[in-house]
Amino acid sequence: MIGQRSLGFVAAAATLLAAAPLSAIFQRWTWLIQAAVAVTVVAGVAALARMLRVPLWGQILGMLAGLLLALTWIFPGGTELLAFLPTPATIDHFGDLMAASVQDMRSYGVKVPDTDPLLFVTVLGVGGVAIVVDVLAVGLRRPALAGLPMLAIYSVPVAVYVDSVPAVPFAIGAAGYLWLLLTDNVDRVRRFGRRFTGEGRDIDVWESSPLAAAGRRLAVVGVALAVALPLAVPGLSGGLLNSLNSGNGTGTGRPGQGGSPSRIDLFAALSGQLNQSETTDMVKVTTNEPEPFYLRYAVADDLRPNGFQVRQPNGQPANRRLPDPTAEPGQGVQQRKYRASVEVKNLNMPFLPSYAEPIRIEDLSGAWLYDRGQQVLFSNRDNSRGKKYSFDYVRSIYSEEALRRAQPLAADNPIKQQQTQAPAVRAVDLLVRRLVEDKNTQYDKVRGIYDYFSVKNGFSYSKTTEGGNSDEITNFLTNKVGYCQQYAVAMAWLVRAAGIPARVAFGFTNGSNSSGGTYVLTNRNLHAWTEVYFDGFGWVPFDATPAYAVQGSTRSAWAPDTDAPDPVSPSAGSSAAPGPADPSPGAAGRDNSDTDTDNGFSGSAGGPTREAPVWPWWTAGILALLALLALPALRRMALRRRRSGGRAARPVVTTTAAGPAAPGSGPMVVVEADPDRARADAHAAWDELLDTLVDYRVLVDRTETPRATADRLVRDELGGDTQADGAVRLLGRAEERARYARQPLTGEELHPALRAVRGELASRADRRTRLMAAVLPPSVLQRWRTRFTDRSSGLVSTVSLGRYRLARRFNPRRLLADRAAR
Amino acid sequence: MTQQTWDEVGGLLPHDEFRAASEAIVDNIEQVIEGKTATVRLALAVLLAEGHLLIEDVPGVGKTKLAKALARSIDCSVRRIQFTPDLLPSDVTGVSVYNQETHDFEFRPGAVFANLVVGDEINRASPKTQSALLECMEERQVTVDGVTYQLQTPFMVIATQNPIEMEGTYPLPEAQRDRFTARIAMGYPGPEAELAMLDGHGATDPLQELRPVSDAATVRRLIAHVRQVHVADAVKQYAIDLVTATREAPDLRLGASPRATLQLLRTARAVAALEGRDYVLPDDLQVLAVPVLAHRIIPTADAQLARRTTDAIVSELVHRLPLPHDRKRSPYDTRPPAPNNGRGPYEPRRP
Repeated sequence: MIGQRSLGFVAAAATLLAAAPLSAIFQRWTWLIQAAVAVTVVAGVAALARMLRVPLWGQILGMLAGLLLALTWIFPGGTELLAFLPTPATIDHFGDLMAASVQDMRSYGVKVPDTDPLLFVTVLGVGGVAIVVDVLAVGLRRPALAGLPMLAIYSVPVAVYVDSVPAVPFAIGAAGYLWLLLTDNVDRVRRFGRRFTGEGRDIDVWESSPLAAAGRRLAVVGVALAVALPLAVPGLSGGLLNSLNSGNGTGTGRPGQGGSPSRIDLFAALSGQLNQSETTDMVKVTTNEPEPFYLRYAVADDLRPNGFQVRQPNGQPANRRLPDPTAEPGQGVQQRKYRASVEVKNLNMPFLPSYAEPIRIEDLSGAWLYDRGQQVLFSNRDNSRGKKYSFDYVRSIYSEEALRRAQPLAADNPIKQQQTQAPAVRAVDLLVRRLVEDKNTQYDKVRGIYDYFSVKNGFSYSKTTEGGNSDEITNFLTNKVGYCQQYAVAMAWLVRAAGIPARVAFGFTNGSNSSGGTYVLTNRNLHAWTEVYFDGFGWVPFDATPAYAVQGSTRSAWAPDTDAPDPVSPSAGSSAAPGPADPSPGAAGRDNSDTDTDNGFSGSAGGPTREAPVWPWWTAGILALLALLALPALRRMALRRRRSGGRAARPVVTTTAAGPAAPGSGPMVVVEADPDRARADAHAAWDELLDTLVDYRVLVDRTETPRATADRLVRDELGGDTQADGAVRLLGRAEERARYARQPLTGEELHPALRAVRGELASRADRRTRLMAAVLPPSVLQRWRTRFTDRSSGLVSTVSLGRYRLARRFNPRRLLADRAAR
Repeated sequence: MTQQTWDEVGGLLPHDEFRAASEAIVDNIEQVIEGKTATVRLALAVLLAEGHLLIEDVPGVGKTKLAKALARSIDCSVRRIQFTPDLLPSDVTGVSVYNQETHDFEFRPGAVFANLVVGDEINRASPKTQSALLECMEERQVTVDGVTYQLQTPFMVIATQNPIEMEGTYPLPEAQRDRFTARIAMGYPGPEAELAMLDGHGATDPLQELRPVSDAATVRRLIAHVRQVHVADAVKQYAIDLVTATREAPDLRLGASPRATLQLLRTARAVAALEGRDYVLPDDLQVLAVPVLAHRIIPTADAQLARRTTDAIVSELVHRLPLPHDRKRSPYDTRPPAPNNGRGPYEPRRP
């Protein structure tokens, strides 16, 4: 009974531990306190019911009632009796909470704040799991099954975070589950009465049961299989092999990105995709705009010391009418409406690509939201892969004059406050002061910074660098080598440092594969650029990356190509730029451009670097395998050589008359041989003989004396061959004299004898035994295995002894035991 | 009669001399007991190990004949005691009688005052009488009326007895059994030996024609030779392991005593010397384990119910007990020493 009660409470505690993954969802820990209250009530009711010997169905009803009372107390609707007795109005209140929770789930991204509906659902779920776990573990005594409801809790964060779920909460939950299993099994053993020790001997408390070795072995095999199986199955994407192979990665780790938009490292995704060795089609877009600007899907506007971060977007459902920027066009701005349709092929993002300022989205399935400030389409749950949709959008074209009229934002403007924050970096500040010192308007300041990123100032393009934090921006400004990411980040940073709101936008260039109004965009066309906010105009794009290196790059009238030999005179309405067709004129004027231009961008410039030949690896692998296989045989040979090494050094015995068996000249026979050396030789020869016996699968009995062993060999194994018979008897005699006599046997050549015995044994063994003796000598393998077993069992018993001592020291029962002993 | 001390007897006999003397005795006895060389040699070994011999077997297989043949082969004083149910302890040890001429008590030595004492049918006497042998067998002295008399050297008791299941027998007490170095069984002779016996014993008793081939002084020298036989540490360790195994065996209620260890090694020395070696082998201990240990131990009730004899238990122990692993360390031996024979320390559980 006591065991059952404790098992019930362990089940409750395990349920709470299994709820640990929910911490990844909530901002605060309120849910834990409330869930703990509910689980405690459930466990208490269950224990009470069991104490009153209520049948199982009664226990279940009692636990359900307890959960209802706890929920009523935690989430009062205002109509309860005595604060915890539910009334029909309470049930209605719960229904309202449930309905509201669905709404909350849709509107909040992780981590969610504490709202009553979400907390209610959480406590209800955890309490329900507690009931199921209690019934399974205590009522039905099937604690292993209780893992399923526990796993159900874990599946909640898994469903929310598609890409990565923190591992620690899972470990905590698993520990709770193991605790439950352990408690149940201890309880079972206790009921059985005594520990089963396997061998007949009584074992000490601290000793692990000999049967535990089998369990340990099973565990090791299980873990090894669990690790090896995914390795062996290459079809499992995301397996260890795959992530090992694709070392350069896709940036966000693996396909299947999704989950919260703010958790994605867009920079890593960008550089990872750009560095992929193969080209994949990601997006296909069709538009009726003649020369569209870049397709964009996300922005990073939260500048921290370690670079631009994605801010958690929030907004309204995307299928409603979106704000229309044409409502208040500024002067000097041309705005036209176009229509585009997008087919996302291989882009896994919680964002949807669109042209800037969409005003109506159609045919879009799933829960997608539109962030008005960031101008991005996002989802907290859905994924862009495979989406097809079309949208209307407004293209704004600004003239330089109009932009020059833009006034600085007021200091209390939220955009100004939020989008001009920049960490103070001395080099950046100095540079910005120099670049904008004689500029008056906002636009001129931005242009000053924009023009700075030009070949004239020594900037060039290379994909080998990366990053955008405060150290790296200094590096970039010093080295002046980078790619779109660095250019976009650096320009946004500098603009911010000048006090003008700026951010980094991510998207696609127009690519090289276009026909009519249809553009097929690949991972090579991923791009990043800068957007600057002008009061009255909104976010205006600037692409500072050298145009020659970006396929499908587009320049606008207000931000012409800084490297163009002849700056095109700005003509309103024309958004034309050098375009993708001629990267060469820009490249020709540069001395190091050829090496810096990324050849991966132009499909004609050859594929990725040539792969190194594979065969040396295979050869090395096979050689290593062979060496590994040959190890036992080599060890055996080394042993044999060491044992026969003494023969050469042994002094030659000349006293043939003073035979060892006939001490005729007196009690002390003086032999001119080193007795220690002779002893060592005899032992070595005997060891070698025993190893040979093991190799040829002849029984070796530790209870036999050398003489008995020799007799047995003569009788059973060698019978007939007189030379071998004499040899083995000689070896036995030498060993027994070396062990037991005053003087060892000297003057006999043991190694010819050994050879004779080995030859005779080999001739009598079958072919398989001979092969094994040569290739994988059982003597060596057995010795290794024995040593390994000894070591591991020694380790295990040391650990368990220490654990036992520790437990005894901190066990309060020690006091009782001491008192009884006195 | 003055006796030589052991120091005067000296060290090792020349090998040939020992061999000749011992072989002469064995050959002499074999004239009477055919086909039992091993038994005869064991009996001689017990004599050379300064022990006492218990011959146990069913009636009529030649127990008494062996005892008498051994006694006759050696030219020394031999007494025979026929243990009967009414035998008194004073018959064994001796008694003080009043001499009317000298008006004084005079000690009449009993049957044990001899070099060889043949105790026939020892378990037919009452335990009271059997106990008279306790002191003289172990301490080689007799104390009567407060006076202690030393016995002669060599001194050996050769007792015969029927198995305990036979009628009219008193079992020997444990203390008495422990004093016998070895218990041997004669066993039935083989067919050829029995045929030879029929031929030989048909007309005359060969025992009558047996002449001594040795004397007490020679035996003392042989004993001194046996004492010099080398026992290596590993062999001592093996003897201890063997005895310890009987003490720990779950089948045994009483294991072998430390005296058993001593006598086991002594007998092993004698056996080794008889085989012409000057060192003892574990083989000797293995051979001797059953004769020397089996009669001293007491099996548990369970083992008795399972009809497991002590002989079987001891030989099983011998077959299970591994040899001590550590050899004499030589400077050429580079392996690390195995602690405690490679076995874990024995820790008895305390209540």
